[in-house]
Amino acid sequence: MATASVSTPLRSHAGIFSTRTAGGRMPLTPSPRQRSIPVNLNSSPFTPDKSSHDSQRASSKSVYGGNLTAHLHRSSSKTHHRDSPKSNIARGVSTPRKALELGVSDFTLTGTGVYTKTPSSAKPKKGSLKQKSAKTTINYAADRFIPNRGASSAIAHVGSGKLDFQEKQRPKPGSSEASTLLASATDDAIAALESLSIEDEESTSYSRPSPNTVAYQDSLANACGVSLNTRILQFKPAPPESSKPIDLRQQYNRPLKPVAATAAQFRRRVATAPERVLDAPGLIDDYYLNLLDWSSNNQVAIGLERNVYVWSADEGSVSCLLEASADTYVSSVKWSGDGAYVGVGLGTGEVQIWDVAEGVKIRSMFGHDTRVGVMGWNKHLLSTGARSGLVYNHDVRIAEHKVAELVSHTSEVCGLEWRSDGAQLATGGNDNLVSIWDARSLAVPKFTKTNHKAAVKALAWCPWNTNLLATGGGSYDRHIHFWNTTSGARVNSIDTGSQVTSLRWSPHYREIVSSSGFPDNSLSIWSYPTLVRNVEIPAHESRVLHSCLSPDGQMLATAAADESLKFWKIFEKKAGAGASAGGVGASGKAELSKQMTIR
Amino acid sequence: MASSAAEPDKDKSKVHKLSLKGSAKLVAEFFQYSIHTILFQRGVYPAEDFTAVKKYGLNMLVSSDDQVRAYIKKIMSQLDRWMVGGKISKLVIVITNKDTGEHVERWQFDVQIFKTSKSKSSKSSASKSPPTDQENASSPASAVAPEKTEAEIQSEIAAIFRQITASVTFLPQLAGDCTFNVLVYADADSEVPVEWGDSDAKEIVNGERVQLRGFSTANHRVDTLVSYRLAE
Repeated sequence: MATASVSTPLRSHAGIFSTRTAGGRMPLTPSPRQRSIPVNLNSSPFTPDKSSHDSQRASSKSVYGGNLTAHLHRSSSKTHHRDSPKSNIARGVSTPRKALELGVSDFTLTGTGVYTKTPSSAKPKKGSLKQKSAKTTINYAADRFIPNRGASSAIAHVGSGKLDFQEKQRPKPGSSEASTLLASATDDAIAALESLSIEDEESTSYSRPSPNTVAYQDSLANACGVSLNTRILQFKPAPPESSKPIDLRQQYNRPLKPVAATAAQFRRRVATAPERVLDAPGLIDDYYLNLLDWSSNNQVAIGLERNVYVWSADEGSVSCLLEASADTYVSSVKWSGDGAYVGVGLGTGEVQIWDVAEGVKIRSMFGHDTRVGVMGWNKHLLSTGARSGLVYNHDVRIAEHKVAELVSHTSEVCGLEWRSDGAQLATGGNDNLVSIWDARSLAVPKFTKTNHKAAVKALAWCPWNTNLLATGGGSYDRHIHFWNTTSGARVNSIDTGSQVTSLRWSPHYREIVSSSGFPDNSLSIWSYPTLVRNVEIPAHESRVLHSCLSPDGQMLATAAADESLKFWKIFEKKAGAGASAGGVGASGKAELSKQMTIR
Repeated sequence: MASSAAEPDKDKSKVHKLSLKGSAKLVAEFFQYSIHTILFQRGVYPAEDFTAVKKYGLNMLVSSDDQVRAYIKKIMSQLDRWMVGGKISKLVIVITNKDTGEHVERWQFDVQIFKTSKSKSSKSSASKSPPTDQENASSPASAVAPEKTEAEIQSEIAAIFRQITASVTFLPQLAGDCTFNVLVYADADSEVPVEWGDSDAKEIVNGERVQLRGFSTANHRVDTLVSYRLAE
């Protein structure tokens, strides 16, 4: 036996070399040897313990190292995680490997002795078992040398990871065989082996993943094309597009609660209670009329059925300016820019001009044969829009007053607003159109906008940006659109959620107020251009029909179907700012800058 | 926790605990909020699209965009099924640059199921007959399901979300328009609806990796890992 054992190592050497060189050929010769070796193990338990101990340990480590290096190879083939702990491990392993080489050389000297040793310590067995399972035939002869082989020839062998996997799965049967051969002491060894091998399995397949194991696994799976019994599934439908490009920097600076933030940033105290309430008995509940206006002389004119009343905000006195004939009603009122005259449109299509200070009618202008629901002054020009859809420009100074006929709308014109510089005119009608006219060429509208889905009564030119026009649609539309009237582009939109009956820009704040009909009957103040609704005031019990701003721009008057006229101080100037800010009234008159009062 | 681990299984089931199903639901819900949070924090969708809801004792930001919600809902409905079936080992959210098609960030959630019968090492469960395996199964290494109160789990989850939120401080700024994909590592035998198809891992090339916190329930453990492309 001893002789046999001695001979085996030598052969095993040869075997190793041959494996390296010839690879596939090996199995044939070694396989018989295998058997002989285990026999040797059993037979030679007595031989040298100490020297073998070291070498065994070395060998066991080396076996382990062999695996690791194999792993390493695989992972390294994957290239990328260079810093992964694996590499550390591998480094740690490398030293043992060297030791191993030393051990090997010793080993060759000592020969079988090492083998005999095996039963005493669990580790060597593990090594041998592993070996067996892994490389099947070839190595048995070389059992002792396995470590060496593992370390050195791993490169040659390991090419594909699959081998390793099999390797791992196999140990159990292999071990059981071995155990039958080995003494009872081997049981312990097996247990140890199993625990070890389990660890191995876990480290490669699951268990608590450190980032590196995760990385390693991924790379492993990639490199080997071996899916770990899983498939990677992707939810195929494309995710919805982002509604707009995002600048994360802005996002990170954003306060946590966006609503609160915007509110805090833009909030100013808005008085939500009316400053004053007047009765407006007989106010016709008709969306298409324009019956309320506030003059630059701080007088409010309101049309109540057949009468026009003028309420002086300075004195708080009311006077009846006129009473129309019994067969008609007042359908619109509009102050001239200087506040001296008021234009009155009647249901018959007649347009009258009254001198308010004198209380006398200056002239009547005919032309429309349907009611005149809206009017607008541009210096000496009075534009009137009628139910027929026609808009006439009247030069009120001359006998032949009608100077232009603006044909665009096919249904009642209910909104009409001159830009403050008189260069453009915006009209809105029941045909859902917004027409923007160039004052120099009135044959056709410069732009015709069809975005609204309902009648457009609310029109307002931005006081700080003359190109900006806001238009509000009726109850089916509920939108406020903002237009660049130079390019014709729609620049912004708000869905207000209710019929927009009027729009007024604040001359002092970057805000616009809209009045609502059904269902809200409220006033909403919007910041521009953020379009944040700063406040919503439940203003009236029924729909708000008309609104107008005081000449100082701080006060809004609203008339509603509940037959009341309410005054709201929604654009109140701060105490400090009040004195200097001026000249911003609708007419731009300097005198008006002084604080307006209403009594 | 250690003491509870020592308790036999029967006792555990008596104590009021999350069932596997409940635990799966909880994990799935965690995924849902994770997706929303990542979409918000990484600016995949504009911040205005998100509204805050109270969850895990935090203000969680959840998209209020109908399309995004519907999209995530579709993902979640399938994910729920897989979770309950214990079919999932990873959920991955990949953020991709729309212009270059490059994967710039990868959020990976590793799911571990403690129940040995359902564990992902299903090979071992399949070959359960050999006694050695069972011994493994009952060995202390497996199924150390620490018993936790619901509140503890919630606070663990909250800690993860805090970390995700805080991670914007070290993650590189995402340049350009980005979109996202959801990947799932599912067992090979799981049922796959038509919307789901095989994919590569969408790894970040030369990515940096940061392990974030994890949480565990009686039946699951979830670990979080973010990998991202280093800014050149």
